[in-house]
Amino acid sequence: MNAVLPPDGLARADAVIAVEGLRVSFPKPEGGALVAVRDVSLSIAPGEFVGLMGEPGCGKSTVAIAMMGLVRPPGRIEAGQVRFDGRDLLTLPEAERARLRGRQIGLIVQNPRTALHPLINVGTQIANVYRAHNDCTRRAAWARAIEMLEMVGINDPARRARAFPHELSTGMTQRVLIAMALSSTPRLLIADEPTSGLDVTIQTGFLDQMWQAARSSGSAVLLVTQNLGIVANYCDRVLIMREGTVVEQAPVRRFFEAPQHAYSQRILALQREEAGADHAARSEEIDDKAPLIEVEALTKHFRLRNGDVVHAADDVSFTLRPGECMGLVGESGSGKTTTGRCLLRLETPTAGTLRYRGMPLSELSDAQFRPNRANLQIVFQDPLDSMNPRWSVAEVIEEMLSLHTDLRVEARRHRIDELLTLVGLSPELRDRHPTELSGGRQQRVAIARAIATNPDFIVLDEPTSALTPETTAEIITLLMDLSRRLGVAYLFISHDLTTVKYICHRIAVMYLGQIVEIGTKEQVFGTPAHPYTQALIGAHLFPDLATRRVDRPPRPMLEGEIPSPINLPDGCYLASRCPQKTGRCATERQELVPLADGRQVRCWRAAAGELTPLEERSHTS
Amino acid sequence: MIFRFILRRLAVFVLQLSGITAAVFVVIRLLPADPVAQLVGLNASRDAYEASKHALGLDRPMWAQFVSFVGLDKAHDGLLEGNLGTSWVTSQPVRREIFESLPVTLEIVTYALLLAFLVALPLGLASARKPGGLADRGTLLWGLFAGAQPDYWWGLLFVFVFFFLLNIAPPPMGRFDPLMTAPPAITGFITIDCLLAGDLGAFWIALQYIALPVLTLAFVVSGAIIKMVRTNTLRALQSDYMLYARASGLPERMVARYALRAALTPAVTLVGIFYGVLLSSAVTVEVVFSLNGIGQYAIRSVLAFDYPAIQGTVLVVAIVSLLVYLLLDIVHAYLDPRIRT
Amino acid sequence: MTLAGDTTTPEEMDQRVDPAVLHAGDVPGDVARNARRGGMLLYLGIFIIALSMLLAAFGPELAPYDPTAASSDISMAPPALADMPHLLFDSITGRLHAPFHWMGTDQSGLDVFSRIITAPRTDMTIALSAAVLSCIIGTLLGLLAGYERNVATESLMRVSDVLQAFPVFITAMMLVALAGRSSFNIVIALVLVYTPIFVRLTRAEVMGQVPRTYVEAARAAGNRPIAIACRHVLPNSLVPSIVQSSATVGFAIILTAGLSFVGAGVRPPTPEWGLMISQGAPQLILGQWWCSVFPGLAMSIVVFGYAVVGHSFEARFR
Repeated sequence: MNAVLPPDGLARADAVIAVEGLRVSFPKPEGGALVAVRDVSLSIAPGEFVGLMGEPGCGKSTVAIAMMGLVRPPGRIEAGQVRFDGRDLLTLPEAERARLRGRQIGLIVQNPRTALHPLINVGTQIANVYRAHNDCTRRAAWARAIEMLEMVGINDPARRARAFPHELSTGMTQRVLIAMALSSTPRLLIADEPTSGLDVTIQTGFLDQMWQAARSSGSAVLLVTQNLGIVANYCDRVLIMREGTVVEQAPVRRFFEAPQHAYSQRILALQREEAGADHAARSEEIDDKAPLIEVEALTKHFRLRNGDVVHAADDVSFTLRPGECMGLVGESGSGKTTTGRCLLRLETPTAGTLRYRGMPLSELSDAQFRPNRANLQIVFQDPLDSMNPRWSVAEVIEEMLSLHTDLRVEARRHRIDELLTLVGLSPELRDRHPTELSGGRQQRVAIARAIATNPDFIVLDEPTSALTPETTAEIITLLMDLSRRLGVAYLFISHDLTTVKYICHRIAVMYLGQIVEIGTKEQVFGTPAHPYTQALIGAHLFPDLATRRVDRPPRPMLEGEIPSPINLPDGCYLASRCPQKTGRCATERQELVPLADGRQVRCWRAAAGELTPLEERSHTS
Repeated sequence: MIFRFILRRLAVFVLQLSGITAAVFVVIRLLPADPVAQLVGLNASRDAYEASKHALGLDRPMWAQFVSFVGLDKAHDGLLEGNLGTSWVTSQPVRREIFESLPVTLEIVTYALLLAFLVALPLGLASARKPGGLADRGTLLWGLFAGAQPDYWWGLLFVFVFFFLLNIAPPPMGRFDPLMTAPPAITGFITIDCLLAGDLGAFWIALQYIALPVLTLAFVVSGAIIKMVRTNTLRALQSDYMLYARASGLPERMVARYALRAALTPAVTLVGIFYGVLLSSAVTVEVVFSLNGIGQYAIRSVLAFDYPAIQGTVLVVAIVSLLVYLLLDIVHAYLDPRIRT
Repeated sequence: MTLAGDTTTPEEMDQRVDPAVLHAGDVPGDVARNARRGGMLLYLGIFIIALSMLLAAFGPELAPYDPTAASSDISMAPPALADMPHLLFDSITGRLHAPFHWMGTDQSGLDVFSRIITAPRTDMTIALSAAVLSCIIGTLLGLLAGYERNVATESLMRVSDVLQAFPVFITAMMLVALAGRSSFNIVIALVLVYTPIFVRLTRAEVMGQVPRTYVEAARAAGNRPIAIACRHVLPNSLVPSIVQSSATVGFAIILTAGLSFVGAGVRPPTPEWGLMISQGAPQLILGQWWCSVFPGLAMSIVVFGYAVVGHSFEARFR
């Protein structure tokens, strides 16, 4: 089923689209222009699935839409050719181009909600697009719109067609957009980061669907992404962009095995490290010391304005030892973020106890809790937003020192320099503003702030989710290093299983506020017991060509979407979607049950050994 | 559900109205002015003073006065019956006086807003299509300039230029030729009344007389409208859905409709704000052109300490503003479904 | 009432804009424009403001004539503009007997120019006091209402709403006339009218800052709630208030002059721009324009200066 590819895919005679010398610029405030895309050339063969990777600002999105002859105002396409169907798109009159778009070349954008007009209902928008490419009456177009909605699995399509974009979930909207884009079987589909922000299982389902549809309609796909996992699992070829130019083009296998450019090598650093060295965290390293943090039956309910109760966290229990790194994984609504926040009293738990070094913290008032903050710290997902926009790097770190230590000015200076060096930054950055630093450096500053008072425990709330793959590798390495040096324990909250697998000793998997499985990394990744864990790991796109998704037979996914955490069922929360459910699952509330190998699972069938295991993987070493 | 939105909005409207009624009533009476002395003069005897005070009802406790004002006691007709009281200066019912003067102001304000939009819309659109271009820089300066002007001064300037120097405008003596008979006042809007009476000559004269006040008011608010149109259009043009609409292959005509819809919908509520601003500006402009609208009525009432007239005026003007906001909010909710939740 | 370029409305601010949609000022065209013109225009604005404050402080001393005493037997003398060049020369070389009337005299024989440069002492004092006071009070109340959302602060917002529903000019007129026509009362009336705007602005900004991560980080660091409000939230919520206060000075000048224009403001013979315009109005219709035109011109230039400075500040800090 794969298209036959020449060595590097360039300049094929029958290429679907061939870009040459593309140059796009944006006017700068001070006058002059910023060249976002300089001299980019690429081509795509029919039916090929090409990935376009790079960090934010490298120009990949600009290239993608420029291939349709479009550019975000006030940018301009200055030079270049885009040959499609034997003609240069860029020199065609706009009316001709409009005919090509939507019909021959489809586009899927990153944020589906903002791609749709907020004031016009969904059905009308679909119908408008349909009528632009097919001659028909309004009524016929409306009927077709309802058909399309049904095709992508939206219930009650006639009613939903009258809905407005903000009333649909992101997943649903994205599916509507695919339906629109693929309905006219375009020769080329351009997908600009179509899955960022989507949950893991939804994301993979979406990409599977897109891959299938593209294959069956013979469309080529240009997929713009930052995610190595997506590239490894779906793409035939990959292009790497940096600062407006293409720095490497290669078939995907060669890229992963032998990246040529220094930048590519940095991106793949984490993967290559793991393959080679033995730095990954190992469960045997944790001594049997007295537990540092003990959480028992932690529950958090939010009451909404209309009286509904959101069960954010439900009966969460685990312990953490000094120096241990525990991963807390799950999708949206899992309660992992809420749990982390409750541990630090950033939310007040509805019920449950929390002990730190044996001391009960749950009964303390907010004021009494405050001194403990020197020992219990947090690093947030968005490093820039987590720092006061007006403060310099030194001021950000100094706040911790002034709140919790008695150090005088001189001693504080010294300590700040010390901390900056510890996180790999030059002390000369002390007077800079975080806005002047790159994302990776900003996060390092946030980490410096977190370790300023020598805490025992740090909650890491998706610390690398907002960073590029290159920087992620650096930060993860830094975090592991600090943990070893300072003996800090981590609660690593993330949806990215790749990094969790690297840094964590133990993993807890959460679904709709409950922990469904908790065990060592080897256990959870090697032989996942709970159906949800199996689905999660099965859906996760590891950047590992050995387990390339499109090369393997399709595996059963969870049906439907994640239900709302407001009206939870009586029995197992996964019952509505689980491929291995029975009658008892739907009615009996599930509790965490210990298994023979020491881990705990919230599924009676798993505990009884009745489930079919996931295929053995070669992830854990 | 738009129906629920309308209900909620109406409830807010009623609450605001009650708040204003109570506030204006109380605030007036808390201020140290002595309306009785104003009316009877400073040399009046003690008895005359007390008699006058009693006649005005000012010797009763404040809550009793308020109750009468609202109309909850059986002895007097109050707000609930539509009675705004009697002017202490002219002894005419306040309601009648207000309803005679209010349409004058509403007429020039409405025309001014229409004129301003007519001029500002194309300018704003033009400046948004080429940001940084000539039209754009011009409108920025114009916006800064026009928004900083005293409306009364410009009214006088227009009178000087168009009446005195160029002799094309009539003298600033009201809204109709004082030597002619005005058509019967059916709506109170003189231009409409002329049309209703079928008198095109009078219509033309009325237009000439109100031209300058309308021009003054339009000038004052034009800068802000241009800026608003420009900002909204730019936002719409640069948004994702515009890009996506093009990418889906929609014809340019439909893309333009998408843009216009998105650009102008948020502007709807702003129109209400402009209306309120113009109502305020109209007070001084009326003085310049001797229009006898509600602005001049308010001035006269305030300077004479005529409490019922003041209360009535403030209430009615506030009601007009609030009604306009209410209507525009509902229109906005109809156009923009995100507001309804 | 006028709008010195400020169009963000209370309603608009309460509706949080979809973050995917750009804010005014973020639009690249805006930045381009402001940066290029910003320099020159900003300096002009600052110069005007400085001049106005200078005159407010030293105006009466600089006036060639006593602004409240008739200085000429000629009433309604036209300005000596036509003779300007040689008169200027004469006055420098000291050959003039008395300073001439740059801008003519009014019907009482008072020198218009002297009155114009003395007026800022009244107008600017009132306007600046009103703007500063309403800014401070409004910002603090707005911070409170935005940070702590409880019954008390919500009632505060309802009261503020009611205050804002009052027609501005008529309310100010009412307050001043009934409380007594003094500068102090004018300031109070203006503060009552303008404070709700600041409350709304600051509250909206604060409500936008509170969910931000750095506020949570401040809590995680161990700050007390008051420390978080004052050290973190407040400094980051000030920009709209500061911009608005510049515009408010302008509005206040126009409103004060407007009140005097209709006879409900400052009492004659205090030199005040609005009073001068209204006194000169009957003459203007007959062709003697200098009594009304010059004060208006002075006022419009000063308000323009404040508008420009506010706009530049906004462009720089957005």
